[in-house]
Amino acid sequence: MRLVRYTYPSFRSVTPAIGAFPRSPWAGLEGEIGRLFETAVGSATAPAAGRFPVDLFEDAANTYVRAELPGLTREDISVEMTDGYLTLSATRKTPVATGENAPGNAKPLETFSFSRAVSIADDVQADRVAAVYENGVLTVTLPKKQAVQPKKVTVAIK
Amino acid sequence: MTLLNALIPSLGGAPVAQPETKPADLAYSVKPVYQITESDDAFGVVVELPGVAKDALEVTAEENQIRVVGRRAWKQPEGWTALHRETVDAPYELVLQHDNAIDVGKVSAELRDGLLRLSLAKHEAVKPRKIAVA
Repeated sequence: MRLVRYTYPSFRSVTPAIGAFPRSPWAGLEGEIGRLFETAVGSATAPAAGRFPVDLFEDAANTYVRAELPGLTREDISVEMTDGYLTLSATRKTPVATGENAPGNAKPLETFSFSRAVSIADDVQADRVAAVYENGVLTVTLPKKQAVQPKKVTVAIK
Repeated sequence: MTLLNALIPSLGGAPVAQPETKPADLAYSVKPVYQITESDDAFGVVVELPGVAKDALEVTAEENQIRVVGRRAWKQPEGWTALHRETVDAPYELVLQHDNAIDVGKVSAELRDGLLRLSLAKHEAVKPRKIAVA
């Protein structure tokens, strides 16, 4: 048996082969080499289990940060905004599988903490940041400052 | 030769296996992270399906496989520009083969906060049984 490190699927690995951009015939080999490389230097890089995928979006009024954090409770997630960095940190608590659990005793919990920081532009109103956790996805909405939003002024011509 | 054809259907021109037809949206799916545990009377499967709502989840228990299909509830709204992406919008698909040691009628599933917990009860026949020595 061989333990294979889980690699999160990239955009490239799931892109359909369409038209002039067929999927590379070496895609599988590339993935395998990448995995081999990660196994070899795995101790130096961040562990796969401690990383969670984060998306950044933007529209006219807000910046959005979306993070996939399945199986957590709202109390275990914390979102902090400091010096232009948005830090998402979470603690996963899993009951330790022990042979016997005396009734009345709380099950011992194994905790695992992980966090990520995202650099955010200065034009965000740090005091109006809102976060929603739904279906295992955390969405943080960061409203932009009014001054930055493009203002349209119609000037009457006499 | 006739006997040989009967034994090996592919030699007789019959198709060996029907190619599996999949719905178009499952042509590119992602295998989710999952974990399997075993206890005395059941197997437990925990599947991470972030972004999947309860009504977009399909769990099918078949003769020798369990299939989990989860489609993402969230779509990128109009006007949102992606600055950086690490997630994909492809649906999740997980197919687990089993050797019919589980009771398909007693499969229970629970989806909460993007974590699907399946409990697959073992068949009575495969459960360990204590035999009293006379």
